[in-house]
Amino acid sequence: MAKILIVDDDPDIVLATRLALEDAGHEVVEAKNGTEGLARVKVDRPDLIILDVMMDSTTEGFQLALKLRSPDPSSEYAQFSNIPILMLTAIHSTTPLRFGPDEDYLPVDDFVDKPIDPVELVKKVEALLHPEKSK
Amino acid sequence: MVAPPNQPSLLEVSFRYDVTGGSTQLIRTRWVAGGLVLLATAICAHLLKLPLPELPLYATGLAVLAYNGAFVWASRRAYTPDVAALLKRTRWIVAAQVTLDWLALAAFVHWTGGVTSPAIPFLLVHLLIVSIVLPRWLPYLYVGLGMALLAAIAFLEGAGILPHYTVIPGLPADLHTNPVWIAGVLGFTLVAAAGIASLTVNIMAQLRQREDRINALFATTQAVTSATNITALLDRMARTVAEALGARGAAIHLLDETSDALTVAAVYGLSQSYLARNSLELSRGAVDGELMAGLPVVVHDIASDPRIRHARQVADEGLRSLLAVPVIGRSKPLGILCVYSDQPDRFTLADADFLMAIGRQSANALENALVFESLQQAEQARAEFVQVVTHELRAPVAGSQTLLRTMMRGLAGELNEQQRDLLSRIEHRLDMLMELVNDLLALAASKTLDVEEELKRQPLQPVLRHIVDRVSREAEAKGVQLQLDLPFEVLSVRATEVGLTRIFDNLIGNAIKYTPSGGRVCVRVVERPAGVVITVSDTGIGIPEEDIPRLFEGFFRARNAKESGIIGTGLGLNIVKQIVDRFGGMISVSSVLGQGTTFKVTLQRASPADEADEAA
Repeated sequence: MAKILIVDDDPDIVLATRLALEDAGHEVVEAKNGTEGLARVKVDRPDLIILDVMMDSTTEGFQLALKLRSPDPSSEYAQFSNIPILMLTAIHSTTPLRFGPDEDYLPVDDFVDKPIDPVELVKKVEALLHPEKSK
Repeated sequence: MVAPPNQPSLLEVSFRYDVTGGSTQLIRTRWVAGGLVLLATAICAHLLKLPLPELPLYATGLAVLAYNGAFVWASRRAYTPDVAALLKRTRWIVAAQVTLDWLALAAFVHWTGGVTSPAIPFLLVHLLIVSIVLPRWLPYLYVGLGMALLAAIAFLEGAGILPHYTVIPGLPADLHTNPVWIAGVLGFTLVAAAGIASLTVNIMAQLRQREDRINALFATTQAVTSATNITALLDRMARTVAEALGARGAAIHLLDETSDALTVAAVYGLSQSYLARNSLELSRGAVDGELMAGLPVVVHDIASDPRIRHARQVADEGLRSLLAVPVIGRSKPLGILCVYSDQPDRFTLADADFLMAIGRQSANALENALVFESLQQAEQARAEFVQVVTHELRAPVAGSQTLLRTMMRGLAGELNEQQRDLLSRIEHRLDMLMELVNDLLALAASKTLDVEEELKRQPLQPVLRHIVDRVSREAEAKGVQLQLDLPFEVLSVRATEVGLTRIFDNLIGNAIKYTPSGGRVCVRVVERPAGVVITVSDTGIGIPEEDIPRLFEGFFRARNAKESGIIGTGLGLNIVKQIVDRFGGMISVSSVLGQGTTFKVTLQRASPADEADEAA
């Protein structure tokens, strides 16, 4: 039903999320890094983006989210700033950035902690795609 | 950089004791002197029947005792904890004492015969005491004034302006007008006075210098052992040494282990442009041949000494002589301590000995500080390495777990009973591995915490609420009741946010983990005189009594925890204790097997002086 873009450099994570999302009836497109991800957004115009917070560098996902949600109205990604973003994180690790389900820190809409539970992932994706259905 | 501005230099401090001590000495001696005047007058007048002018002499004696009393009162009133002010006031009191004594002595001498008085030697006694108390050239001034006074008395009595009293019967009545007599008395008294003043001033100067040296040695030792880091330590050393020797400046050069080069580590009293050159003024030959062999180097005239390099720049800075000593540690030389003066021939062998002593004293402390610093750096590097490695370990484990869960959900096809069982076992092993990796990461992070972060004022309740929110889902799913009992007013503790989160994540997480369905976990915060006390209690499986002493050890799990099948690494409480220790707090545990456990953490209350954590 929806087209979902997953940006992650770990092929196992990509495979697992693809299986879970396709089983729920969605179309999945993938990108291996931030640059590819941004290009894909322009080309595929997904309905939802799943980002891994850390890829090659510790802040790659973070940077990507910032670019997409840039407050600058003349940014080339301005039209995509409304696409819901789900971030894959490892909350228990001490990363240099402050994380937590605090929207002040990151311009993303929800988080899924790794290791991923496919059921939880699909639930969160559906909630973001159809916000009026969630309680 | 070094001492706060209102602290006196150590030379001033030693002088202070001199002056107050001297003042007290004068006052004590004066009680005796005044009393003796009265006693001697009485004896001479009545026992020896000498023709003394009794009344004026009694008056003088009483006056001396009276103004002595006034000085005692003045000294007490003058006391103030401000050292500089006290010094100033004491000096004034001493000056007043000496002046009044001078007048009293003049009166005494006049009434006991003027230039024929047998009491003239007392002037010399007073001069002796004054030379001890007054600094620098002031004793000579006193000699001049004293002699002037004596000469004035001789003149005035001789000219008949002042009455003369011949006290010793048998002396010619006009002796005091005899020019030869006058010249003789004044001449010999002057020589004696000058001699006494000169000797005493010299002795006092040496004594003071010795005292200064001892104080400097003590001050350096104190500075060196109380400095919190190497830079502060070396800066203080340079300044103390320069002040102690009364030199223009000082520098400490440390030997770089690997490159065998000397670099400036601390400087005092030299200009910025001079420092930009940053290399030792002594030639390599002098360094290797003399200093490294344990010998001091004294350069009396920088301009002409062949051991000096960059003579022109040194001369431009105004430095004319130099003293250098090696600082040798237990097993190898650490560096060089250099003192500079803008006068030639300033440093003596005695100065060299003194500086060598300072060098030896400081070497030990310096070595320890250097070792400690490299230890800290090694610890930091190790902690960072562990962090990087564990991050690398997490990714494949998380990836594997994700794939497993995908399979377990049937997303790669139906699973039969046995497949499901095997996968479930793999999942369990991976979960344990992940927990271990997380705990190791936490351990490494807590060590880095040690080295990096400062404790700030942390509000406690938000952290606890945050954690409870996060685990409430898990607790609910398990059927464990979670209760939070917090005081209304926000309590702040001295901690770091990350550390606090880790402590209570672990304690509350453990409580839920080890409490079976239907049980209860309660988190309570109270304020006590000892600090802020947080108790986490549960109605879980408890801890056997014999395991409690080892509970906070790394990789230790209680017997019943291991047997329960609940996943755990045994690292959690070890980490918690390390962080609690780091915060200066305390943790204790009490438990009854099969009934439940209570952990009690006491943390220091944040004081108003503690910085707030802006990020919180």
